[in-house]
Amino acid sequence: MKKVMEGNHAISYGVQASEVQVISAYPITPQTQIVERLSELCAGGELDAKFIKVESEHSAMAAVIGASAAGARAFTATSSQGLLLMHEMLHWAVGARLPVVLANVNRAVGPPWNIWTDQNDSLSQRDTGMLQLYCESNQEVFDTVLQAYRIGEKVMLPVMLVLDAFFLSHTSEIVDVFGPDEAREYLPPYRPAESLSPESPKAFGNLTGPDNYYELRYSIFNDMQRAIDVAKEADDEFERLFGRRYGIVEEYRTDGADTILVTSGTVTSTAREVVDELRDAGRAVGLLKMRLFRPFPTHEVRRVLGGRRKVAVIDRNIGFGVGGIFAQEIKSALWGVGEHLPLFSFIAGIGGRDVTPDVIKEIMDITDSSEMPTEEVYWIGVKDEQLSYLTK
Amino acid sequence: MSGNKKTFDDVSQVPLGAVSADDMRWNKTGTWRNVRPFFDPKTSPCIAGCPAGENIQEYIALAREGRFEKAVRVIWESNPFPAICGRICYHPCMDRCMRSEHDGAVFIPAIERFLGDYAIEKKIKQNPPSKRLGFEIAIIGGGPAGLSCAYFLARRGFGVTVFEAKEQLGGVLRYGIPQYRLPNDVLDAELDRLYALGVKIKTSTVVGKDMGVEELSKYSAYFLGVGLQGSRRLNLENEDARGVMPGLKFLEAVNTGKTVDVGKRVVVVGGGNTAMDVARSARRLGAEVTVLYRRTRNEMPAIEDEVREAADENVAFRFLAAPAEIITHNGGVKELRCQEMELGLPDDTGRKRPVPKAGAFFTLPLDSLLVAVGEIPDVESFESIVSVSNGLIVTDEFGRTSNEKVFAGGDIVTGASTVVNAIARGRGAAELIAAELTDGVFDPKQQRKVVAIADINAAYFLHKKAATMPQSNGGGESFTEVNLGLTCDQVKQELSRCYSCGVCDGCDNCWVFCPDVAISREDGVYTIDYDYCKGCLICVQECPRGVLASERETS
Repeated sequence: MKKVMEGNHAISYGVQASEVQVISAYPITPQTQIVERLSELCAGGELDAKFIKVESEHSAMAAVIGASAAGARAFTATSSQGLLLMHEMLHWAVGARLPVVLANVNRAVGPPWNIWTDQNDSLSQRDTGMLQLYCESNQEVFDTVLQAYRIGEKVMLPVMLVLDAFFLSHTSEIVDVFGPDEAREYLPPYRPAESLSPESPKAFGNLTGPDNYYELRYSIFNDMQRAIDVAKEADDEFERLFGRRYGIVEEYRTDGADTILVTSGTVTSTAREVVDELRDAGRAVGLLKMRLFRPFPTHEVRRVLGGRRKVAVIDRNIGFGVGGIFAQEIKSALWGVGEHLPLFSFIAGIGGRDVTPDVIKEIMDITDSSEMPTEEVYWIGVKDEQLSYLTK
Repeated sequence: MSGNKKTFDDVSQVPLGAVSADDMRWNKTGTWRNVRPFFDPKTSPCIAGCPAGENIQEYIALAREGRFEKAVRVIWESNPFPAICGRICYHPCMDRCMRSEHDGAVFIPAIERFLGDYAIEKKIKQNPPSKRLGFEIAIIGGGPAGLSCAYFLARRGFGVTVFEAKEQLGGVLRYGIPQYRLPNDVLDAELDRLYALGVKIKTSTVVGKDMGVEELSKYSAYFLGVGLQGSRRLNLENEDARGVMPGLKFLEAVNTGKTVDVGKRVVVVGGGNTAMDVARSARRLGAEVTVLYRRTRNEMPAIEDEVREAADENVAFRFLAAPAEIITHNGGVKELRCQEMELGLPDDTGRKRPVPKAGAFFTLPLDSLLVAVGEIPDVESFESIVSVSNGLIVTDEFGRTSNEKVFAGGDIVTGASTVVNAIARGRGAAELIAAELTDGVFDPKQQRKVVAIADINAAYFLHKKAATMPQSNGGGESFTEVNLGLTCDQVKQELSRCYSCGVCDGCDNCWVFCPDVAISREDGVYTIDYDYCKGCLICVQECPRGVLASERETS
């Protein structure tokens, strides 16, 4: 059924369709509406879930970890500082192999306070072992909730679903939603092999010495690698049942393209328009959208970028002391396969600054203007005057 | 370490996370404990605060379940007169209510009144005693102390005869407290409980006058609860002039329906409950009333509610003023010359002593001067049989006098006190008499520890506003009852506000919160399994009502 809804509510309805049993969250802008609508669905009897109010994000994550350990399908949502506060518990969910789903609305990290979008909050959790999926539209948000549970429960790892603050969270779009009855074939009930039970009390998370800890880490690594194929399968099956697919990455007009622009999140939608325009003007450019970030789709990236002339990467994030984080990951993926592809790394849109078609065109012009990058990292649109004013 | 070591043939068999291979019950984590939680039911502060020891928590819990009859019978265990006390008690229970600091004390007397009225309306019968004992007990004085003693003795099967000096039973309940606070039909309905128990009543019988004290010797024991019959005087000239009257005498006249003409301007002297009753009654007779009190409102012994209601009814107050001279004209009172006072150092009651302000006087014109500066005892008739000190009968705290057959209680022992204290003394004496005559054991209940505010976890209680008493319009003009009683919805709301301090109500918090699943629940009873309780004390912390406590492990 098609409905007009904001991205946050698309998450809520995705959670409802997934028949989540336990929800715990602490409110933070711009995540609030996700939980608000869920609490309404619970209170109104439209979702048969326990809604646990907590005093912090750390507790929210701890609560869903407990619920998941007891065999329940569990959900939480947060943003920015809230996600940072959860950090310890994210590692816990991974190490305990609990497939909770966390929706993170990308919001810049303070100080200074900023409630607008950028990716540093979620990318700071890069090495926790959580899967990360970045969404471009509200429809993708809704669909990805179901995919996230399907993937997570197959590899027994938690999944973070990521969407941009305001550009998606608070923007209304048409979303084709469905309920639990339609979803059940795609997403059967969660039945873990081990779960907490007073009838058979077992110890979980025991002290594990050097003789075993190493293997348990190895097992997480392997399941993360396996998650790439699981995610592909989840997408294929989703298309079979619901007629929509996203890929773990998506190519857009890459046929015959010399230069590939790499994006994630809502910048992608703008980039599609720019690519269309440049193609019409006869420039051989294409687009690669990164949807799955963890595990990193190394082979797909190599396949799409292999044999091109240049790559431009837009990062709405910054790894201080290195550069854009997606750019670093893509460079790594291309290393050692005989590619010496010039990679132009651009920082744009941090702290919610608009990434407009003109910004993207400027990025493409810079990429065209030299054979090799002239800078390690290009910061697009830095206001020199204002900066010098600030330093006075 | 016990438990079995498990070896896997293949890495694929290894569980995903660190999980014990087997049930871990062998690991008795209770040995880690150095503090131990335990269920430690306590006394609710309201119960500790009630002189009669009414089991307030229990009757509220029953009423909350809609079991009103059972609830009222619980009250009758310790007080035969809930409809009366629910109206006129000074409710020390409420002062102790743990809800006070949260959103206002539970309106306990209003609940008590509701249940008392329920029993009257539904004609709930007082059960007769299951057996009759062969003892006859005399009760001298048909006021709250004597009637309470009579009731509790009769319940046990004693034959009881009450001797009352006045025409009807009730004492201060009938002759002192005005109708607008305690209607006679309520009083009579509650007194029916005594008749149902077969208590014999001899009214208009003054012991020591209409009947000799020696006649009491034919009874197995007797109880003196004669109260305070005299009125303290101002000790001024012209105190017996026309228009000057003791407050109690005035109240008795009004309460028995006699025509009393107090004229237009009335001055009431005193700051206690009697003064308030006198002032408000005079107001209802159409007079302009001024209360003269030698200290300030803060030191007034009257119940705060009574003072406020008097003020609401346009009773005027002149504080820091005392009568100095009664000026008469043709044998009738005409003016009262008053001395202005100021507060000095505290006296032995802790209240600041009023001292005259040199040369400061004023004069009030008046038609009646009603004096309510205290009641005094008259024990002359009993001096031959019991010891007396300062005009009061000497007893121990349970009512034993110097004469082994004679017991006493109420104001004649304590001096001016309250109805509920008299009821408590009457019951205490009844228990003592019963024990002594039947060789029973007299074991005044050892009170359990009383809940303290620190025991309460108020986070579990939503804020709910306390009910206010609906009152009749036109207060201050007629003798119809002012306080109408709470509506059913209000009563329900008040019942829901009770914390049930110190008494488990099966909320499940301990059971839910125990991280070691060491608390079990069966038929509403919780048990701690010390094999696994690690002593985290979360159960103690999360018990909303202070039922759980902890102690250090000694071994």
